[in-house]
Amino acid sequence: MRTPLLPVFAAATLVLAGCGSGSSSSGEVRLRMIESLTSPERTKLIKTLIADFEKANPKVKVELISPPLDSADQKITQILQTKKGLDVLEVRDHTAKSFSNNGWLAVLPTTEWAGWSDLTELAQKKAVEVGGKPYLIPYGFYERTLFYRTDWGMAQPPTTWQELYEAGKKMTSGDRFGYSFRGGKGGADYVVQMISAYNGEALNPEKSFFLKDKRTIFSTPEAVQATDLFVKIFKEISPPDSVSWGYPEMVQGFTSGVTGMLIQDPEVIKTVEESSVKTWSTAPIPKGPSGYAFQPVGYAGWGATSFSAHPKEAVKLVQFLSEAKQSIAFAKGNSLIPISKQAQGDPQFSQGAWKAYLQAQQDPKQVITIRPVDYPGWSQFQVDSDRDVQALLTGKKTTAEVLKSWDAFWTDQAKKVS
Amino acid sequence: MSVGSARPAFTTRKARFIALCLLPGVVFVVLFTYYPVIRGAIIAFQQYNLFDLTSTPFVGLENFRAVLAEDRFWTALRNTGTWVAVSLFFQFFLGFGLALLLRRHFRGRGLYQAWVFFPWAMSGFLIGLLWRWMFNGQFGVINDLLLRSGIIEHRIGFLATPGWAMTSVIVANVWYGVTFFAIMIMAALQSVPRELYEAADVDGASRLRQFWHVTLPHIRPTLALIVLLRIIWILNFPDLIYSMTGGGPAGSTDIITTFLIQQVIGGDYGRGGAVGMLVLGLLLAFSVFYLNATRFEKAR
Repeated sequence: MRTPLLPVFAAATLVLAGCGSGSSSSGEVRLRMIESLTSPERTKLIKTLIADFEKANPKVKVELISPPLDSADQKITQILQTKKGLDVLEVRDHTAKSFSNNGWLAVLPTTEWAGWSDLTELAQKKAVEVGGKPYLIPYGFYERTLFYRTDWGMAQPPTTWQELYEAGKKMTSGDRFGYSFRGGKGGADYVVQMISAYNGEALNPEKSFFLKDKRTIFSTPEAVQATDLFVKIFKEISPPDSVSWGYPEMVQGFTSGVTGMLIQDPEVIKTVEESSVKTWSTAPIPKGPSGYAFQPVGYAGWGATSFSAHPKEAVKLVQFLSEAKQSIAFAKGNSLIPISKQAQGDPQFSQGAWKAYLQAQQDPKQVITIRPVDYPGWSQFQVDSDRDVQALLTGKKTTAEVLKSWDAFWTDQAKKVS
Repeated sequence: MSVGSARPAFTTRKARFIALCLLPGVVFVVLFTYYPVIRGAIIAFQQYNLFDLTSTPFVGLENFRAVLAEDRFWTALRNTGTWVAVSLFFQFFLGFGLALLLRRHFRGRGLYQAWVFFPWAMSGFLIGLLWRWMFNGQFGVINDLLLRSGIIEHRIGFLATPGWAMTSVIVANVWYGVTFFAIMIMAALQSVPRELYEAADVDGASRLRQFWHVTLPHIRPTLALIVLLRIIWILNFPDLIYSMTGGGPAGSTDIITTFLIQQVIGGDYGRGGAVGMLVLGLLLAFSVFYLNATRFEKAR
């Protein structure tokens, strides 16, 4: 009987392709690692760090997967659901809760590792913030700061949102605008920041969407004031187009000389330095009428999967990336706030545009908060609130309607967690 | 089990061979089409939130009820109608025109065809990103060109104004989809036998009559099929909108499939599954209606 070779081969290939193998025959360990906040420059940097790791551990080979930024977290989630073929991954503050809830992350050891005591207090705190266990080691922090033009007739940077509005008003004429507004993806975060500042001392920094008396921050008259000013800032001192602006557009707005002020993370320092805008400076983010400013510190870090076939090597890689030398190189390359105590003496993190961060750290009324990322509705709120902000800006919803629905949403969430 | 003669033995062997040949294809389709569909259908009836996958109880029609109760769903449905109808109209007629032009022989036709068809090979996300910058209200090249040529006096916030945003995403989609119609219609045109035109010439039929009575009837079945395919594909094509506007501003460019993506990104796979089932039902009903209306069987 003639054997139909071709289909047999085809079927065999299929079956084999389905079973990726972790280790090869020569005793060599293969680790698979995936990143989330992908950019070409960053991927290059990670690869050099991995190369150093491989040099120090000749028996381990690391394969880096770099999915496109927009869909990276979805892709990581999909891989995690299959519970195989992944050892080391980038965990973000947004994803930490769901990843650990579903048992996909390994608890990292902190006792037999010298690097732990070298982490800053903030880094140690954030490592165990979700679930009370070290599911990740942060690699750096994002905190917002105000970027402003020094050549557009502003002597002093604004210290409050009201001052920002007034300063922006003076800057706005013709094709020039005061403020790089964000109305698109991530836009709701900015109105929340303003509402927080307006609520002032009453806010509970540990659960930043709630007040100390357990009501939500959206329920107060201060929230209405803040939201109205937010809309005014959009209508009067921002490009009309910015209702759809996300991260790239708002940065581009500043670096191309269309807008005079921008509130963004430290990685933008590098972008602005490389742009044609030469006369600029930074300042801490504006405060509310009560003199307080609140913001969460954004972070992401490296974690190991709970189902890794090579847990020892996976943890080793996470620790290697988190040690002073590597983590400082990574923070510098991405302009992030570093996690290592040793970086505090480093001039790069205390001079020039970085000075505003020091200034904010020393101000007791610039408060770091924790967002309610561990509430079941967090992800849904990200999607819904951005749409509500656009509805607010285009006049489809009123301030009262938006705040009422957000208040209802978080009151309901509070009941679910308690 | 049959006992006996050489004939049945031969057929079983043959059948086995055929089955083996089909196996890879069947495995692929089952694995990557039917399995996800069935899994999605099951999820649609579960409380399946990424936040906690350790407990996923069945909740009956709850997900469907939640989806149908949302205004956004109905807005998205209306937008889907506009998005499909307008995109299809322009894609079809521009694609047809392009195919007729490309049928003639001219120098460098091959190269030109390759260039024209290029967009079809690009990823929808990438195309969306390109158009997003071109339509940008401040730095976009389209605003710049319109300003310089004196057509407009003030920049238009293409992606920031609800009406313009829909127009913009449809323009991008038309640009992308024209080539598909051009390719398919050109292939169909080439299948029309030359003798028919010669005969029509002898009978003294004008170009227009030739087109109407020879070309069109001949390619009608192909047209019917590719129009149906395109309707399904345009409806299932959220990539472009998602990367250009994300459904915004305020849901004015949301179509049913971008709405679905938002459910999934929000972590609620259960509702995502429910929307998926609704889309499936909609397309199924439409396809049956369409194939009946165009009498596809007879035309073939």
